Amino acid sequence: MSALEFDRVSFTYAGASSPVLLGASLEVPEGAFALLVGATGSGKSTLLRLAKPEISPVGDLVGDVRALGESVRTLDPLASARAVGYVFQNPDAQMVCDTVWHEMAFGLENLGVPEREMRRRVAECCNFLGIEPWFRMRTAELSGGQRQVLALASALVMRPRVLLLDEPTSMLDPLAEKNFLALLFRANRELGITVVVATHTPAPMLDYATCALALEGGAARGVPLAELASWSHDIACVSGTFDPRFGAESARNSRSHAAIAADDVWYRYGRDGRWVLRELDLAAGEGEVRAIVGSNGCGKSTLLTVLAGMLRPARGRVRNAAAASQALLPQSPKALLSRETVIDELMEWSRAGGYGRAEAGAALGRLGLAGAAERHPYDLSGGQQQLLALEKLLLVRPRLLLLDEPTKGLDRAARERVARRLISTRDEGTTILVATHDTGFVRAVADSVSLMFDGGVTVTEPTDEFFANSWLW
Amino acid sequence: MAPGRPIPFGSLHAVVPATLLAGTTLLSMLAVQPVHVVLSLVGALSFSLLVRGVRATARGLAWQLPLLALVCLANPFFSASGSTLLLKVGPRSVYAESLACGATMGALMVAVVLWFEGAATVLTQDRLLALSPGRARSLPVVVSMASQLVPQMLGRARTVRATLGACTAAGERGGLRDQLVRTSTMLLSWSLEDSVERADAMRARGWESGMSRTCYRLERFRGRDAAALAGIAGLLALCAACAWTTCASWRFYPTMSGIGPWWAYLPWTVLVALPGLASVVDRFPAVDRFPGSNCQPVGVDSLTRGICQPRADCQRNGGRP
Repeated sequence: MSALEFDRVSFTYAGASSPVLLGASLEVPEGAFALLVGATGSGKSTLLRLAKPEISPVGDLVGDVRALGESVRTLDPLASARAVGYVFQNPDAQMVCDTVWHEMAFGLENLGVPEREMRRRVAECCNFLGIEPWFRMRTAELSGGQRQVLALASALVMRPRVLLLDEPTSMLDPLAEKNFLALLFRANRELGITVVVATHTPAPMLDYATCALALEGGAARGVPLAELASWSHDIACVSGTFDPRFGAESARNSRSHAAIAADDVWYRYGRDGRWVLRELDLAAGEGEVRAIVGSNGCGKSTLLTVLAGMLRPARGRVRNAAAASQALLPQSPKALLSRETVIDELMEWSRAGGYGRAEAGAALGRLGLAGAAERHPYDLSGGQQQLLALEKLLLVRPRLLLLDEPTKGLDRAARERVARRLISTRDEGTTILVATHDTGFVRAVADSVSLMFDGGVTVTEPTDEFFANSWLW
Repeated sequence: MAPGRPIPFGSLHAVVPATLLAGTTLLSMLAVQPVHVVLSLVGALSFSLLVRGVRATARGLAWQLPLLALVCLANPFFSASGSTLLLKVGPRSVYAESLACGATMGALMVAVVLWFEGAATVLTQDRLLALSPGRARSLPVVVSMASQLVPQMLGRARTVRATLGACTAAGERGGLRDQLVRTSTMLLSWSLEDSVERADAMRARGWESGMSRTCYRLERFRGRDAAALAGIAGLLALCAACAWTTCASWRFYPTMSGIGPWWAYLPWTVLVALPGLASVVDRFPAVDRFPGSNCQPVGVDSLTRGICQPRADCQRNGGRP
């Protein structure tokens, strides 16, 4: 029996003119670890949601979707919750309760599982995933990796036979991603749960996957895993014209010529908090693209905020020659999106940036959103929101650009587009600092790389040298 | 509460400390008598020092002690009664009895605030929710979500303001009113968007599936909890009876009199000392049942007979740990 089966399925969102799925047929055998790949907006999330009737999108569905041999149209919410688990992309938005134990028990409480059985399931799931040490912690205190493991645990504790995951590792650093995938693999092999993962970066999952499907033009086709192996995480190298005289070496040797420099910076949130930044030294030259890498929670985002002057260091100092002409892209693009339409969003800073509707229209074209000018920014996909926020910043031509995970949730084509855009911005003399986990993107755009650890910058090297010397990255 | 410090009453069901602290606070509010108030203040202060730490207690006292002094000094101007004239301020006479009454009221307020602060530290949200009635099974989820919303919105407001502030290339930020409107609009949209995804996450895990919800309780009510609860209820009843006697005989005006027998304060002393004592006891590790040994007991039989089997490392070292 197939765990999941789509038979000539077409789906059109309510109000949309064209279908997102068009005659998609696929079959995932029981016990498989299946990858669902495709570009941003290709319909991966829609396809997964259609297999879960309680969260399926509103629109016209043609064809038959079957989960464990039963049509999902006849599945009531209770049966669906028991049979099919779902893990969402954003670990923050899917947390319902404020403590780990309560989050794990939430689904079982909804299913009316008796307390004795609930205790057993929670205990076993905690043992299986190694959650016991943080069982009584508050969800707000967990790291990004722990949150996503908790999301997995909250689904597994209900003992589903099929587990659907929508871009579950897109917000994790490489190490947290490997840990998460290892747990997912164990659930697949040891518990026999069928796993279907939608992703546009399949490379880290190839060791675990048993089959793969690609969504293209609304249709699904089987893809040999060997073919996906050639989908390297790296993106095409975008050559630049960076002048090393103004780069990392020069900045290290002569801090007075750096566009931005931090000397012995210490920072912590609250008097009794741990030091997030300590003894941090960093200098970036004018027209340099500097990548800042490090694990989740190592202080990359805090560093960008301190460099932008929005947090005052407890000790040390920051010298920023471009303080009057800088821009910051936060991890969540929603912190920048404040207007009712996409075009209004791009025009918000037109007076200060000295540009008009023509430039904004050209930017829409670059984003591939020429037909979406009057849509609300929140109606765009997560990746499109990210691109829109970045383009909004680039339109005002800042001299210093601080980017926090700019490629989060983007597919390969979009990442390449961002890389090209940043290189052209750098060539105009803008200094760019990028905090990211995306090593492929770093290889393509960065002139130098700084590795953060224990609150400080452990090493800064030119990109090629950094990767040549690195054991991990 | 200082991090890493054991939670007082952590080994008992939440209903036990909740009853003890609620009863103590209630009796403290009702027993307006100097000796009761002083004992309650000492008990509350020591409890606060033990569970909240010196720094947090001192920060609280920084506004509580001036409040006590204010009530003490203000009372003679509202109630100019008594027999021991201390001084005259214009047409008003200040009597020692009136000052003492004000000091008692002020100390009572401080004591009650300290009891509440200590109780809030000991009875975490999790433990309080464990006390919710069985029929209100969705209440813990509602409270849990609401408690996350405010810090999350405040954090996002900081992010939005910091992002806008960091984008100096975008020109002037606009007036305070414009910034407030912009930030609040963004936060509202952001929260609404999140709520859609969270609602999906809830439905995907069986919310509104039609089943009657059950409840996972982190703590179980055991025999020792019942015994502790019975003891506390008895102590509270005894204290109430004694306090009734001593408060009925006590007079502030015209002269302070009727303090009552000393033994009538003994139950009250035990009651107000109990929360602090419990937190001290919780700080000490359990008595080692196998003194002098680093070996682990094996099975129930060996526990009852006091026999233990050496670990591999013990065997290698001739039984030495």
